[in-house]
Amino acid sequence: MEPFFVRYRNILVFLAILLAQIIGLAVQVRRTESGRSSADAGDGSGVRLIRLWADGLVTPPERMFHASKLGAGSLWQDYLNLRHVREQNQDLQKTIDRLRLEQASLLEDAKQGQRLQGLLDFQQKYIYKTLAVQAIGSSGSDQSRVFYIDKGADYKLERDMAVITADGIVGKVREVFPHTAQVLAINDQTSGAGVILETTRIRGILRGNAAGRPQIVGILADQRIQPGEKVLTAGGDQIFPRGLAVGVVEKVIRDPERDSFINVIVKPAAQLDRLDEVLVITSTAQRFSPDQQQDLAISEDQKGAEVEAIKEQKEASEIMAERLPGLTDPNAPQAAPGAASTSGPGQAGQQAPNPATPVAASPAPKLMSPRHSDRFTPGAAEEAAPSAVPEDKPKPKQPSPKPESKPKSKANSKADQPSTPRRNP
Amino acid sequence: MPVLGPNYRRDLEIHRYPILVYALVPLAALVLQAWLPWVLRGYAWFDLPLVITVYFALARRNPIQGTLLGAGLGIFQDGLTHHAIGVNGIAKTVVGFLAASVGVRIDVENHTIRLVLIFLFSLTCSAIFVFIYRILLGMDLEWSWLAELMRAVGNTLIATVLFPLLDRAQIKD
Repeated sequence: MEPFFVRYRNILVFLAILLAQIIGLAVQVRRTESGRSSADAGDGSGVRLIRLWADGLVTPPERMFHASKLGAGSLWQDYLNLRHVREQNQDLQKTIDRLRLEQASLLEDAKQGQRLQGLLDFQQKYIYKTLAVQAIGSSGSDQSRVFYIDKGADYKLERDMAVITADGIVGKVREVFPHTAQVLAINDQTSGAGVILETTRIRGILRGNAAGRPQIVGILADQRIQPGEKVLTAGGDQIFPRGLAVGVVEKVIRDPERDSFINVIVKPAAQLDRLDEVLVITSTAQRFSPDQQQDLAISEDQKGAEVEAIKEQKEASEIMAERLPGLTDPNAPQAAPGAASTSGPGQAGQQAPNPATPVAASPAPKLMSPRHSDRFTPGAAEEAAPSAVPEDKPKPKQPSPKPESKPKSKANSKADQPSTPRRNP
Repeated sequence: MPVLGPNYRRDLEIHRYPILVYALVPLAALVLQAWLPWVLRGYAWFDLPLVITVYFALARRNPIQGTLLGAGLGIFQDGLTHHAIGVNGIAKTVVGFLAASVGVRIDVENHTIRLVLIFLFSLTCSAIFVFIYRILLGMDLEWSWLAELMRAVGNTLIATVLFPLLDRAQIKD
């Protein structure tokens, strides 16, 4: 008769391996304070060792595949497919010029914003330093939306560093290995990023669903949330800096588990399924980075004068529009009964009713008096006639041919030229 | 039924492969499983380690080897994800054991039978995965059975090509 262990060795080995894995699972998964189980609270040393082995086994061939793919791609892109490169270069140069212009014009606002934030003691953090890395592979499972990047502890990457592209956020570093790192994408079910809707200012937590689409969960039903609204990072999660693009609202669906709540499906700004190169934010600070400052200085130097000229031109046009006579002032208070309805030029500010002035039967459109009237101003000619102004009323000041007080800014002096034409009779 | 065991000698025939095949094919399956979804941009409805586990379990007809191969590949797969180590390991351990046990009893030389088996084992593996995640561990996991069905079909299609290729690597007596 065969011994028991020999006869049932298959099933015994099977059960032993199964039991060992179940015990291993029980050790890894812990119950959180909310009563739910979680395996994401940091790996133990044994588990980390297995991940390290798996990473060491899989990533070298992946790197090789990726390098060969990049090599073939760059051979084609850099040496063979060079049609329209010159035109593209010119277009890009124009775009840079335009962006520098915009940047210089926004610089003052940014500086003012920083000053105000300093006054309010608000700790705004800017992306100070980033590291460009290549995405080389995935976990290979739909249930685990993580991917691997080609730099790790050797480049001082750390857990929970934000990973972004120029388009928007991508995820965060979850595990760091000697030469690689694992990134948890924002469309994974276990991910979480604090986000805010740009217009409605509604905050929520972004995480993925079963189909791998990011969604904002735990929001009370709100009719204001419409497709197309931008979603930004809220900055409260201590991972993503505030104000980074996340995506746009794609649609709003009811939370299947809670009636009064909705889930907002978000179309991610970054193409999460087409990532090649991503940026890891290695440090944030409360000031602009040297690169950014240098860029701003260039913009200021190169385009500052142009921006100033545009600004002056804008101010001049505003002043000119202000000086031109308008029909009615929409902000003016309703005229009191008995008030002069036909106030001539030079009577600005004379709101008190004048008993000597004839009261019009119907309210006529009130002419707004210009700030600096001249002889071309409508009504100036009538002022010369003594009947136009009652005798007992002090005569309005005759407009001088030159402005009484010279404008201080260049813009104003420029603006004066068209409004006061020097024309000899 | 000719399929279910007409020839006892053939049923007991154990296929043998060069040692390099045992070493490189599972490794290639792991690497490609991690790399191809990245290249195919999300259209990766397959599970190459599962296909390899089922193939060797059916071919070797040894439950212990099937169990060990499934456990090893599953644990390494778990190592690449951010899930707890052992979820895939348990699922593939069970599948490896079942495939080898089935391989002892039915004629797995028939290619159609093997394709039907890989389809069924794919669904079994998915079911075990959900069971472990939701019941055993009590963790939240949204699930799409349509995706799992697509994966089972994908595995079957890959097996259609891969099994005959691997059969060519057998050591002939």
